[in-house]
Amino acid sequence: MIVNDIEVMFGGQAGDGSLTTGDLIAGVFKHMGLEVYTYKDFPSRIRGGHTNYVIRAGTTPNLGMADFVDCLVAFDLEAVEVHIDEMRPGGFVIFDSSQEKLTDAVRRPDVFFYEVPLAKIAKDEIGLELVRNTVSLGVLGRLVGMDREIVLRDVTSVYKRKGEKIIDLNIRAIEAGAKYVDDHFDHPSGYELTTGVDRDRLIMMGNDAIAYGALVAGCRFMAGYPITPATDVLEWMAKYAPKYGGVVIQAEDELAAINMVIGAGFAGVRAMTSTSGPGQALMTEAIGLAGVLEIPIVVIECARAGPSTGMPTKTEQSNLNHLIFSGHGEIPRVVIAPGTVEESFYLTVTAFNIAEKYQVPVFVLSEQALCQSKATLPSLDVAAVTVDRGKLERNGHLKFGEYRRFAFTEDGVSPRAVPGTEGGMYLAPGSEHNDRGVITENAGNREKMMEKRMRKLESMRPDLPKANVLGDTTAEIAIIGYGSNRGPIVEAQDRLASDGIPTRFLQMRTLWPFPEEEVRAFIKGASDVFVVENNFTGQLERLIRYVVGPLPHMRSVLKYNGKPFRPIEIMEQIRAVGAARRALEV
Amino acid sequence: MATTLTAKDFATTTPSWWCPGCGDFGVIASLKQAAADMGLEPKNTAFISGIGCSGKISGYFHSYAFHGVHGRALPVATAVKLANKDLTVIAAGGDGDGYAIGAGHFMHAVRRNPDVTYIVMDNQTYGLTKGQSSPTSALGYVTGTSPAGNPDAPINGLAVALAAGGTFIARGFSSEPKAMTELIKAAIAHPGFAIVEIMSPCVTFNKVNTYKWFKENVYHVTDIPDYDPRDRAKAFDVLTQAGKIPLGIIYTEIRPTLEALTIKDAPAIAGLDIETADARYAGIQEAYR
Repeated sequence: MIVNDIEVMFGGQAGDGSLTTGDLIAGVFKHMGLEVYTYKDFPSRIRGGHTNYVIRAGTTPNLGMADFVDCLVAFDLEAVEVHIDEMRPGGFVIFDSSQEKLTDAVRRPDVFFYEVPLAKIAKDEIGLELVRNTVSLGVLGRLVGMDREIVLRDVTSVYKRKGEKIIDLNIRAIEAGAKYVDDHFDHPSGYELTTGVDRDRLIMMGNDAIAYGALVAGCRFMAGYPITPATDVLEWMAKYAPKYGGVVIQAEDELAAINMVIGAGFAGVRAMTSTSGPGQALMTEAIGLAGVLEIPIVVIECARAGPSTGMPTKTEQSNLNHLIFSGHGEIPRVVIAPGTVEESFYLTVTAFNIAEKYQVPVFVLSEQALCQSKATLPSLDVAAVTVDRGKLERNGHLKFGEYRRFAFTEDGVSPRAVPGTEGGMYLAPGSEHNDRGVITENAGNREKMMEKRMRKLESMRPDLPKANVLGDTTAEIAIIGYGSNRGPIVEAQDRLASDGIPTRFLQMRTLWPFPEEEVRAFIKGASDVFVVENNFTGQLERLIRYVVGPLPHMRSVLKYNGKPFRPIEIMEQIRAVGAARRALEV
Repeated sequence: MATTLTAKDFATTTPSWWCPGCGDFGVIASLKQAAADMGLEPKNTAFISGIGCSGKISGYFHSYAFHGVHGRALPVATAVKLANKDLTVIAAGGDGDGYAIGAGHFMHAVRRNPDVTYIVMDNQTYGLTKGQSSPTSALGYVTGTSPAGNPDAPINGLAVALAAGGTFIARGFSSEPKAMTELIKAAIAHPGFAIVEIMSPCVTFNKVNTYKWFKENVYHVTDIPDYDPRDRAKAFDVLTQAGKIPLGIIYTEIRPTLEALTIKDAPAIAGLDIETADARYAGIQEAYR
C-alpha cells in the first residue's frame, strides 16, 4: 500500500477537456493537504493529437515528476500504448472501454487494468458524453480514497460559472463513477490518500507567479507577442495591470515588444516582456540597446525545446547560452532562474529591483516544466516586497548643462532622469556616447564608458539571488542544477541518502553574472560533481568549466527529449558512479 | 514658469553630421520653429529617432531624445506616449528606417493611433551607407546595389498609411520651410498618430530627385478646387494618381487614440507611486486557494 504519494496521468486526445479535470484533481489533492505538482505534456495543436496531463501529489514540498506513473487514466488505447512502459510496477490503469478493447500487447502483468466504460456511463446515465472526464474522477476518487466532501465542494466551485445544472451533472457523474467501482471491482488499487490540513497555501502556475510578482514589483507596462509557453504572463498582466493603472500591449512582433518595453523604461515606468526562444532571438539587438542606454527592463524567458520552432509545448534548458552570450558587443546583463513556483514570484520582484537599481536588462529564466506547471506553495508574503528605484532622479534639482545622465561613478550607476524631469534633458543614443549622451568615438571615452557599464556586474553582486545549498553539505558527491530540476534532484537526493549515498546540491539562482565564488566554494572537496540539465551540449557544465576552470571529476547528466527529469534518471547515473568508486576502493 | 521659448532654445550644441545642403537641415529648422510656436517645453517633449542620416536628428533637438536601433522608433515612441501621456512625443526617421526595416511597425503604429507625430524624411536613397536604393527609390534607379537599375517598385508610404487607418496624413518639401512648419504644428496638434512625410533631397547621392526636380514635380492639394482633407476617397485618389507629388494636409480624421482606449482618464503611468504597496495586492492570491 502506497500512502499519500501518487502520480496520476490523464491521457487522451487534445481538446477533450482533460485539462479542466486535471486542474480539478490537483485542487482536490491540495485541499486534502497534499503537496502538488502538475505537468502538461500537450501537442502543439488545439484539437487532436495525444496529450497528457500529470498530477503528482505527495507530502514533501517542491516536488517534480515521480519515477513512474502510478495511475494512468486512459481515454483511448493510444494513451495506454504510449505510456504503459512508464507505469510503476503495482500501478493501475483506468481505461475507457466504451469504444476500444484492450489488446494483449499493451497489458502488463504487474499493472492492474480497471476497464470502465467512462463515455458510455456519461452518455447513458448522465445524458452527456462530455462528462466522461468527471466520471473518471469519480472512479479515481473511489480507488484512491479522495475525500468525497472536498471533491463535491471543488466540483461545485469549478463549475459555478456554468450554473446549477452543470454542477449537478458533474456531481452525478462522480457518483456514477464511484458506484461503478463498487459494483464491478474488488481489487484494491494499492494506493491510499488521507486527508490532512490545507492551511495558508496556494496552488499556482509558475507563469502566474511571475506575473503576480511583476505587478507587486510595480511593473505597469508590458508588451509582448503571444508565444508558447510564455503567453500566460501576457494574459495575466492584461487582466490585472489596468486595474493598477498600467497598460499591456500585444505587439505586432517581438521586435516591437522589446522596443516598447525599452521606451516605457526610458520614460520611467517599470516594464517587461515575456517570450520564449524564437522571440528571444528577435529581441537580441534591442537588448543590447537597453544595455548601452542603461535602461532597466525585465525579460521573462519561458524556455521551450528549440531550435527554430523546435517543440513549442515541450520543456528544455537550451537557451542559457543564448541569454548570456547573445548579441553583438558587450553589455552588463543579469540572468536569474527560479526553481519553484514560489521563487518565480520572489525572484521576479528581485529582477525588477536589480534592473532599476543597476539600470540593466534582467532576464528571468523559467522553462515549460516550471512556468506552465502548477504547484502548491505557502501564501505569498506580499507585504514583505520592497520596491527599490535606485538612482531615479525625482527631486527636480537637476540643472541642465551640469546634469550627466551617464556620469562616471564608482558603482557604474549614474543618476537617471526621465522625461518630464526639469533640467534632465539628454540624448539616449545607441551609439557610443560621453557622459552627457553626446555621440563620440573618442578612444579614451570608449574605454571609460565600457568600464563604467561593465563595473555594474561587480557592484550588483550583493543584490543577486544566492544559490540554495540543499542536502548534506559535507557529502562528497555534489550536484549542480537550476530551474525545474530542483524538484527531481531533491527527490533523488532524499532517496540516495536513504540508500546510504549522501549528496549536496547547489540550486543556482543567479546564472549571470556567473557566481564564481559560490560555485568554487560549493564544489570544494567534492569527489564528483554532477551537472543536471535539460539540453544536449551541457550548457551549464560548459559554463562552469569556462569560468571555474577544468574539473576532471565533473560530468553532465543530460536529458533533451522534451520531458522533465524523473528522479530515478538522476539517481541511476549518480549511483553508477558511486558503485564504480566503491569497486575501485575494494 | 511659462517663459516664451524661441526656435533657438530647441537647439543643441551637438555639431551636425549632415552634408552641406542636406534637406534634413530644413526639417530640423521647421521642427524647432514649430516647437517654439506651439509653446512646447523641452522637459515635456520626447523625440525618438531610428538609424540613418535621418536618425541623427534627435541629437539636434533639445528634449528628452532617444536614438535607438534601426527601424524601431515607432514602438519606442508608442510606449513613451503610453508610459507618460502628458508628454509631447515626436518620432522621426527616413524612408529606409520607416518604410523598409521598420515597415511592419509603421503600419501598426498607424492603426493603433497613439498621439504621436511621425516625421519621415524621404530622400529616396540610403545616405549613411553611401547611396543604395531605398523603398522609395524610383524603378530603374541605378546604385551600387542595383547596378542594372532598381527592380523594386517604390512604396507609397502615405497611401499605405491611409489604407491602414491613418488619421493625419501630410506631406511637405524641405525647401518650403513655412509650409513645413505649419504641417508639423498641425501634426503635433492632431490628437492621434500624425504622419508628415517630407521630401528631403540627398545632395550627395541622389542625383535624380534633386531640389530642382522636386520644384518641378510637386503641387499643393490646396490648389485643387474644393479639396476637403476629410474626404478619404479623394485623398486616396490624390495619393495614388500618377504625375506630380501632392503636398499639404492630404487627409485627416478624428478617432480615439490608443491612450484614450487603454489608459482612459487615469493619470500618466510614469507618475504612479509604485513604492507604496497597493492594499489590493494580497487579495489577488485568494483566487489560488
